[in-house]
Amino acid sequence: MKVFIAALVFAVIAAVCVSFVLNSIQMPSSVAFTTSGARVGDPGNNLIGPS
Amino acid sequence: MLAIFLGVRGRIRIHQGFSGTTLLRFASFERFTHWLTASCFVVLALSGLNISFGRSSLILPLFGADAFAAMSTYANTPTTFWRSVPARPRDHVLIWIKDNIPGKVDLEWFKQGGGVLFKGRHPPATRFNAGQKGIFGIVIIGGALMSLSGWFLLFPYIPDNVDDDAALDRDSCCDCDAVHRCPCLAHIYIGTIGMEGAFEAMGSGEVDLNWAKEHHSLWVAEEQAKSQAPSENTPRAVPAE
Repeated sequence: MKVFIAALVFAVIAAVCVSFVLNSIQMPSSVAFTTSGARVGDPGNNLIGPS
Repeated sequence: MLAIFLGVRGRIRIHQGFSGTTLLRFASFERFTHWLTASCFVVLALSGLNISFGRSSLILPLFGADAFAAMSTYANTPTTFWRSVPARPRDHVLIWIKDNIPGKVDLEWFKQGGGVLFKGRHPPATRFNAGQKGIFGIVIIGGALMSLSGWFLLFPYIPDNVDDDAALDRDSCCDCDAVHRCPCLAHIYIGTIGMEGAFEAMGSGEVDLNWAKEHHSLWVAEEQAKSQAPSENTPRAVPAE
């Protein structure tokens, strides 16, 4: 039981740590899926603009 | 299907009964790695089911777009994070690869139905029988493919053609998940309610000697030869009368 709990705790800690790394290097969709020639209309009120 | 199988076959019992003598089957780090993988698998399997069936036939039609969107958003968080723990399959490989190399004894195991299909038959097996070796291969190869396709889902702008590649990555990830999921459910079944005395291997790490002799006779012989496993002649405590 101790080993089981330890594995769960480790999984959660690893997940939280990795989440910080991923959040720091992932791009928002408005940047990732558009090219320099694309224009986002009404940003903040559509699905891909920055909120 | 598993419920039907349980109803038809019944629980696999230890024919000679519990001996009262145990031997170590899995050390602490092995069990830690197993449960780490298992916890990640459960989260990924549930969120994978939502990706596969949630939109088309389950959550969205039954509970509406809002519920589906909320559930998918919450499911995405653990899926994303847990997928990126590549230590899971790597540790499995390092720890268990030497015991999972197929051999001639595995053919005999299959010929005798793995000791599961026919009552009273216990084909010889080493530390891992052929079924467990199959699970090992599926977890390693399927897990690696699922992680790889999952990483492309995390970074969909890496490939050149985002639309086509993202769809391919999503489908690949779902396929790997499905192929991965079915044998793992059978593994969970046989390790819990399907076979008497099996759960202790990953619970306490120690299994009953009679269970080990019935299901992994060659492994027990090896351990006894190394004097790391008790035999019938090993003195043990007798209750006072």
